[in-house]
Amino acid sequence: MDGEQWYGAAYKGSKQFKQWDIPNANASGFGAAADDYMERGIDLNEQLIRNKPATFFFRMNSDSMIEAGIHSGDVLIVDRSIKAVNGKVIVAILNGELLVRRLQTHIKGVTLVAENKKYGNIQVDEFSNYAAWGVVVYSIHTV
Amino acid sequence: MVLSNNDGCIISRSDEAKKLGVAMAGPYFKAKPLIEKYGVATFSSNYNLYGDLSWRVMETLRMLLPPGTVEVYSVDECFIDLSHIKPDELQAFAVYLKETVEEWTGIKVSIGVAATKVLSKVANRLSKKHKEATQGVLVLDTPGRIQQALQKTPVEDVWGVGYQYAEKLRRLNINTAYDLSKQDIVWANKHLGGVTGSRLIRELKGIESIGMKEELVNKKMIATTRMFGSPVTELQDIREAIATYTSRAAEKLRRQYSAANIINVFIVPKEESHNTRFRHGPSIGSYVVLPQASSATNELIKPAVALVERLYESGKIYKKAGVMLSGIVPDTSIQGNLFTPPAENKSRLLMSMIDNVNFAMRDDVLKFAASGTSRDWKMRQELRSPRYTTRWDELFEIK
Repeated sequence: MDGEQWYGAAYKGSKQFKQWDIPNANASGFGAAADDYMERGIDLNEQLIRNKPATFFFRMNSDSMIEAGIHSGDVLIVDRSIKAVNGKVIVAILNGELLVRRLQTHIKGVTLVAENKKYGNIQVDEFSNYAAWGVVVYSIHTV
Repeated sequence: MVLSNNDGCIISRSDEAKKLGVAMAGPYFKAKPLIEKYGVATFSSNYNLYGDLSWRVMETLRMLLPPGTVEVYSVDECFIDLSHIKPDELQAFAVYLKETVEEWTGIKVSIGVAATKVLSKVANRLSKKHKEATQGVLVLDTPGRIQQALQKTPVEDVWGVGYQYAEKLRRLNINTAYDLSKQDIVWANKHLGGVTGSRLIRELKGIESIGMKEELVNKKMIATTRMFGSPVTELQDIREAIATYTSRAAEKLRRQYSAANIINVFIVPKEESHNTRFRHGPSIGSYVVLPQASSATNELIKPAVALVERLYESGKIYKKAGVMLSGIVPDTSIQGNLFTPPAENKSRLLMSMIDNVNFAMRDDVLKFAASGTSRDWKMRQELRSPRYTTRWDELFEIK
């Protein structure tokens, strides 16, 4: 995930983390040695969510993006604050329907590319009602 | 359009629905023929979704602005202190806020910028009303613009002027916000009465009189009021409803680490005719003062139910009930006083256990038997959209 945008110090992130949230080793004997190296456990929010108010979750319900590693049933993490540029996997609104596709921008306009040979690419023409809704940043897949 | 609690009234309409003539605050059943004829999309209130989206909008603003400059006023409204922005950059900054909120959250907002809260509400109303011309942003930064805006604002649409006040003002030949702004403080004291009126006049003149408030952290009163999904006649049902609402209010009380010692209970019987604006039948209520403030559901349910038993009259049909908790103080039992016998802390421990389970399960898994088991006292929401942003099993499915 790349960071094109910069946030000021006011950005608290998704974790309201305070120093006393670090777990205590609670050693009954000589605790200091253990306590000195305690740190916060791994928080998935920290890794998967960069901008919480702009992040939305979707459930994938098709195999149209299978070659991009997105399977049916996966949870998609979508960040609306990232610019939809050429090559990104995006959530697009096309004529009132939400679709996941890879965005291809070119001189003739926009093509929504499926990552599955069974599906055709969609050339967005001037008659279709198209908008980029957000950029897919992670896909959570059950192994 | 969106329906109120229990799908009773229409509380929100899209611009398209307004154009079709769907009436605001009108009963749902009356609008049904129109809705069916034109296929108006109708939804029950989805407070979980609205609450989350509201948080997203406010959080976006808090991230873009210095700490303490965003005052959340209601679920869909906030005031922002922009004194750190140069006057000639206000328009551009407001546009930047509006665009970022829409980009990040998908929510379209309108912004009114002015010297005082009342004037900013005037600006906001006009920016919303004239979306094409203003693009949703209106800055009142010159005397000319302020005057024009005030002249275009009917007096009843001024923030703080109620329906009855507006009628009175119209009788005094004050028809617009501009007319009102031309009055002086002496006049305000005579006709508007007291501090509020003169503050309003000063705000309209551009003199800041209503400051930025700190966010309301601890509420002074906690209420849970609901219309019944269907009319209720039996005492047992009323008891259960009151017990349920008391549990809800007690939960809110504990969430802000408070305890209360005044319980107010009311029930509203069905009225034969009520054609006055926004009014229900007379509510029948009473209150009790507890010897000691408490936040334990069981300690609050008992007196609340006893109260409603006294208020109830058989043979009447009830359509609404409510519980209000006041006399709110910090809950000292939370700290667990060294000198209190442990028995007194038991209910505190029980309550936090119940709250944790219900919060984790996102539903009332554990509740007091007084709340009943047969009937669901929660809202009727037959047309609710999924809670896309707060529930794993209701995520939007995408292809």
